[in-house]
Amino acid sequence: MTWLRNPPEAKPDAQAAEAAGLDTTLASDGRATTAEGLRHAAADIQDAAAEGLRHAAADVQDATPEGHRDAAATPHPAGLSLGVVGWLRWGWRQLTSMRTALVLLFLLAAGSVPGSLLPQEGTNPASVAQYYSSHPVLARVLGDLGLFNVFGAPWFAAIYILLFTSLVGCVLPRTLRLVGSARQPPPRAPGNLSRLPFAVSYATPLAPEAALESAAKALSGKRFRLRTGPGWVSAEKGYLREVGNLLFHMALLGLLVSIGLGGLFGYKADRLLVTGTSFANTVTALDEFHPGRLVGPDNLQPFTVALDRFSASYVTSGTLVGQPAAFNAKIRYSASPGDAMHSYDLAVNHPLIVDGARVFLIGHGYAPEFRITDGTGRVVFDGAVPFVPVETTGLVSEGAIKVPDANPKGLGFVGVFLPSAIDVGGKLESYFPAPNNPMVSLVSYAGNLGMNSGPSQSVYSLDTAGLHELAVSPKPLAIGQSVKLPNGLGTLTYTGYRQWISLAITYDPGQSAALWSGIAVLAGLLLSFMVRRRRVFVRASTDETGNTIVDLGGLTRSDAAGGFEDEFAGLATEISGLHQASIDASPSPDPGLEAADRTDREGSGPSSHQGSGPSSPDQSDPPDPEQSAGE
Amino acid sequence: MPVNTGLADISNDFLLTAVVIYALAMLAYACDFAYGKKKLPALRTAKASAVVAVEPAPEEAALVGAKPAATAGGTPPVVGTPSTGGGAAAASGDSSSGDAAGVGLRGVIKGVPDRESLGRWVTIAVVLTSLGLAAHLSGVVLRGLSVHRLPWGDMYEFVTALTCVAVAFFLGVMIRYRAYYLGLFVMAAVVLVLGLAETVIYTPAGPLVPALQSYWLAIHVTAMTLATGVFFVAAVIGIAYLFVDRHARRVAAGRPTGSDGILRRLPGPEVLDRLAYRTVVFGFPIWTFGVMAGAIWADRAWGSYWSWDPTETWAFITWVVYACFLHARATAGWRGRRAAYIQLTGFACLLFNVLVISLLVPGLHSYAGLT
Repeated sequence: MTWLRNPPEAKPDAQAAEAAGLDTTLASDGRATTAEGLRHAAADIQDAAAEGLRHAAADVQDATPEGHRDAAATPHPAGLSLGVVGWLRWGWRQLTSMRTALVLLFLLAAGSVPGSLLPQEGTNPASVAQYYSSHPVLARVLGDLGLFNVFGAPWFAAIYILLFTSLVGCVLPRTLRLVGSARQPPPRAPGNLSRLPFAVSYATPLAPEAALESAAKALSGKRFRLRTGPGWVSAEKGYLREVGNLLFHMALLGLLVSIGLGGLFGYKADRLLVTGTSFANTVTALDEFHPGRLVGPDNLQPFTVALDRFSASYVTSGTLVGQPAAFNAKIRYSASPGDAMHSYDLAVNHPLIVDGARVFLIGHGYAPEFRITDGTGRVVFDGAVPFVPVETTGLVSEGAIKVPDANPKGLGFVGVFLPSAIDVGGKLESYFPAPNNPMVSLVSYAGNLGMNSGPSQSVYSLDTAGLHELAVSPKPLAIGQSVKLPNGLGTLTYTGYRQWISLAITYDPGQSAALWSGIAVLAGLLLSFMVRRRRVFVRASTDETGNTIVDLGGLTRSDAAGGFEDEFAGLATEISGLHQASIDASPSPDPGLEAADRTDREGSGPSSHQGSGPSSPDQSDPPDPEQSAGE
Repeated sequence: MPVNTGLADISNDFLLTAVVIYALAMLAYACDFAYGKKKLPALRTAKASAVVAVEPAPEEAALVGAKPAATAGGTPPVVGTPSTGGGAAAASGDSSSGDAAGVGLRGVIKGVPDRESLGRWVTIAVVLTSLGLAAHLSGVVLRGLSVHRLPWGDMYEFVTALTCVAVAFFLGVMIRYRAYYLGLFVMAAVVLVLGLAETVIYTPAGPLVPALQSYWLAIHVTAMTLATGVFFVAAVIGIAYLFVDRHARRVAAGRPTGSDGILRRLPGPEVLDRLAYRTVVFGFPIWTFGVMAGAIWADRAWGSYWSWDPTETWAFITWVVYACFLHARATAGWRGRRAAYIQLTGFACLLFNVLVISLLVPGLHSYAGLT
């Protein structure tokens, strides 16, 4: 099946095809083709009656970079008489057509849009929950459509699976055809080279055979593939273009497979780690765990990480004051329990890699420390409580302390941590993210915290439904200060603060495959854009005055990066120069005929042949006017 | 290292100077349209010339001089030549054979640019563009020196750098293809964008947030800046194409065309279409590389090479739309205007990403430096 497509600059022109009298069902190389494709080919090459040229145009069109056929070029099933197989074949053709591929590409782009504008389950589940509570009806509709998880939605998968099926359906046959064309010699030279998009003609006293021989030598020196015949040489080059094109599309497929591999066997996890503590990479120790479909708890790499110290530095002056300048976490880790601990400086853009899994520093914050004694004098809490930053300029952080087991009443506190507290008109703010004046402001509650019943609660907020607020003072606490809770409920002391970091742990076995696929995508793209498939033909014949007329013709398709005109001009210069040089080197190949011509030529300089060669009549014919009549 | 505010101030002065010079260059390009040499098409038959026997690829012929839109399809062997252009009128065809393949080759091998003089206004405009580019480049470089890093760490720096790329690339295209007619449009767009950058999104010089402190900034953002600059030029050509194409259709249909002073002096739609295509072909691999470099960086910084962050998603959408454009140009019924619309859609996606997503939608890429 020859899948002719419209060359980019061809004008659909039925007249040209009719004038050329083309067989619309069978191309001369034996592969069936369709009317429209050939019609375009005919319009493009203008002289479709020249059989060799038809080969040339058809084959060069095969080398165009984009893999799909025009849907218009596929025959529609005539009625229901096709049967199941016929319909299947028709459907397959539609799927693998260029138009369908274009529509699928558009759908892929359009389908991605909601994924960027609506909050997504995968990246921001909290915002999705918020959306549900603020727009309950709309959110349910959007949720049913999968718009909160676009990139995992079945309809999105349907788009890209269809797209890749379409791609395979077109890349495979093209690969086979590329292999076939690489084993065949270039087509024969067309009869009238002056009809080609690039052509040049000149006269030389050299014998036609000698002229062709030196032309062939020059072309093969440029690594063209050659085919010779009586009075002509045809040369072809640039098969790498199609190789690049196929490589590009196959590499995209490889990328998809790599991503799938990561989705099956990889996992992602999060863990918040306070200075001075450690954790082991087990499912129970992780705050969040998103395993791939085929990952179980036993598949986690059994490393341990301990955080010794965390330091952050910030811009201290100028307009960007408070912007972070550097983060560094001094950690120790061991690959498995009992192994020796190694030190490591974890930083942004500098992850820890253990056993194939990687540990990233993705966030940081403060964890104020409290000691709480209840009404019975028992210490019911003593430790650091991670607070979550709610803004970046002063790193004001919020959190909650929950002591459900305090006596006589359960205690709960909602607090704000201010690293660099400052009183602005009676309101506490933080002017800098570093802990220059770390203070805590708390609201105290007593009652039933409801932690043993009802829905699970966030550790950073307090459900005050079963609680009543306590009047306490002082409100903002400096390190070491205490508040005495009323009614003998207990005492809270703000003993200090620690810093915490949040870690992302990822494992993706498809990663290196994805990288190599990406490299192949790029290599294929560059090859298909930078290499052009082109043919150069040479004909030499003797005219009535005995001179040899050398015709050069060139043909290329989808010369994306441009430049064939330069190459063709260079080739023409080189070949004509060779002919000139061989005349100079071996005077009078045909003395009787050529003496006068040579004198002429020597008189007018080494490279001026123009006076000696009579114009061949068709040189001055205007090109086929039908070429532009179609527009 | 602290920010060198003195250098940063000089950088600002250079950039403001660049905007002013670009505006003057834009005026000069406009003056060329208004007062420059009229380029009228000269019809020449093959016999009248020693050279024109074979029709050159249409775009090559028309890239040479101002080939009127109506004849750009190449009906008769037409070589557009400036007939009143300082005595070089008839030289186009002859010089092409002479330059290209030695005297004596009959047949047009390629469209070799005319060597006729540029005209006063174009010369002034090109000199001004180059001066503006020098000031622009100095501004960008000084900004980088003042903050001791590559000067594309926030939105303001990104925009100043990408417009610098656009102007440099445009100068290259203009000289390579003698596409001086694009100057007015490119300069107008650059003045607008750079002016807005200086006024609306100006961000004072400062160090990078830790997430951006990586050599991948140099790779990823440089590629994105380059590709954006190239796509910028492609979009300008695409818009010019749409106008010229509409004009050509009106002329062909015999409908009144109104004022066509500028359009008549632009090359034919095929030329602009091909030029836009080649520009996109140049930019697309850079964009692909930039997205991949970003993925590698994301992998190193955030632990996942692709996380459908809004900015990533729109870079992907932009990529897909430009891929649509490349495929559409090879599909029947999608060439020409439709392909041009797709290309402009791609650029619109890119702009949406830069202007709306980066500034308004929170995500991993929120580095604009604006609050």
